[in-house]
Amino acid sequence: MSDNSAVLDETIHQSVRLRIMTLLVSQPAAARVAYRFIQRTLDLTGGNLTIHLRKLRGAGYVAITKEFRDEKPSTWIQATVMGRQAFAAYLVNLERVLKGVTVPEATATIPQGRPSRPSS
Amino acid sequence: MSGSGNEGAALTPQESWGAIHTTINKTRSSMYLVGTSPILLMWGALTAVLYLIEYWLQTGGSALAEETPWIRAPAFGVLLIGGMVGSGLVGRRYGSRNVSPEASRAVGIRVFFFWVSVVLAAWLIPAAAGMWSPEGGAQIPHVAIGIVTLGYILYGIMTHAALAAVGVGIAAAYYLPDFLAGDAALPVSAVATFAVVGLGAMWLRKIGIR
Repeated sequence: MSDNSAVLDETIHQSVRLRIMTLLVSQPAAARVAYRFIQRTLDLTGGNLTIHLRKLRGAGYVAITKEFRDEKPSTWIQATVMGRQAFAAYLVNLERVLKGVTVPEATATIPQGRPSRPSS
Repeated sequence: MSGSGNEGAALTPQESWGAIHTTINKTRSSMYLVGTSPILLMWGALTAVLYLIEYWLQTGGSALAEETPWIRAPAFGVLLIGGMVGSGLVGRRYGSRNVSPEASRAVGIRVFFFWVSVVLAAWLIPAAAGMWSPEGGAQIPHVAIGIVTLGYILYGIMTHAALAAVGVGIAAAYYLPDFLAGDAALPVSAVATFAVVGLGAMWLRKIGIR
């Protein structure tokens, strides 16, 4: 891996957590997603998902709420504002790394939405 | 640092980029498939009932059908409207279990209008072709089932190929008995359709589509 990858947020730059964050930030800002939906969509075991959600929650990137619906417990996950900003900055840095640009310790934010494919 | 450390294989930047795009596509597909299994089962049952009503009109209820040939329109209309309302309710219920309304509303509206378009096409295209007449009426199901099959295939292309396969099965459940089973075609199609959607729903659940 190039030295540039050193600037990628280590909390997000991991296979499972990157996919979790991508799923969450692709939803509207106030949207919550059910734990089971994430598990099914990303094809993860419960234990694996829980471990990575704890790490993301520890970093302040996701909020986890538990509630009862139809008398059944359900767990809901939401990307926090900090998580969305961190993911946006991760995308900016990732795009720069892919273009071969030397990246400073960037904390830039970009508008929410689908990333464009880098031209390199 | 890359952050992968002892948490599995390290991600290259290229792999990260690919994972982001793959996840966005999978998330979108999953959202559009929420509630698919029960809705599919419900439509299978409604279609089977529709075939049996038509069979009854052609045989036991032939007098009623001759005196009031328009009876099919309200009978089938009630089934279709009931199915659409039921699909909306099931989709909403399942959607609310998976994502909050902010995320599910736009998807639900798109899915609803997609299938409304398919159903309208199944009614209007035969009408535009002049089939809503005593001579052409028998051909309407041939066209309508083809249009509904096309709907399943298109939806499957956009979301998951399994749904396209189920659509082909629904078409086979109608057309094969129509060619092979003679006078018993409609009841055979009813049983075959229910079997296809039942097996299809089980298959979809098995591969994680609920």
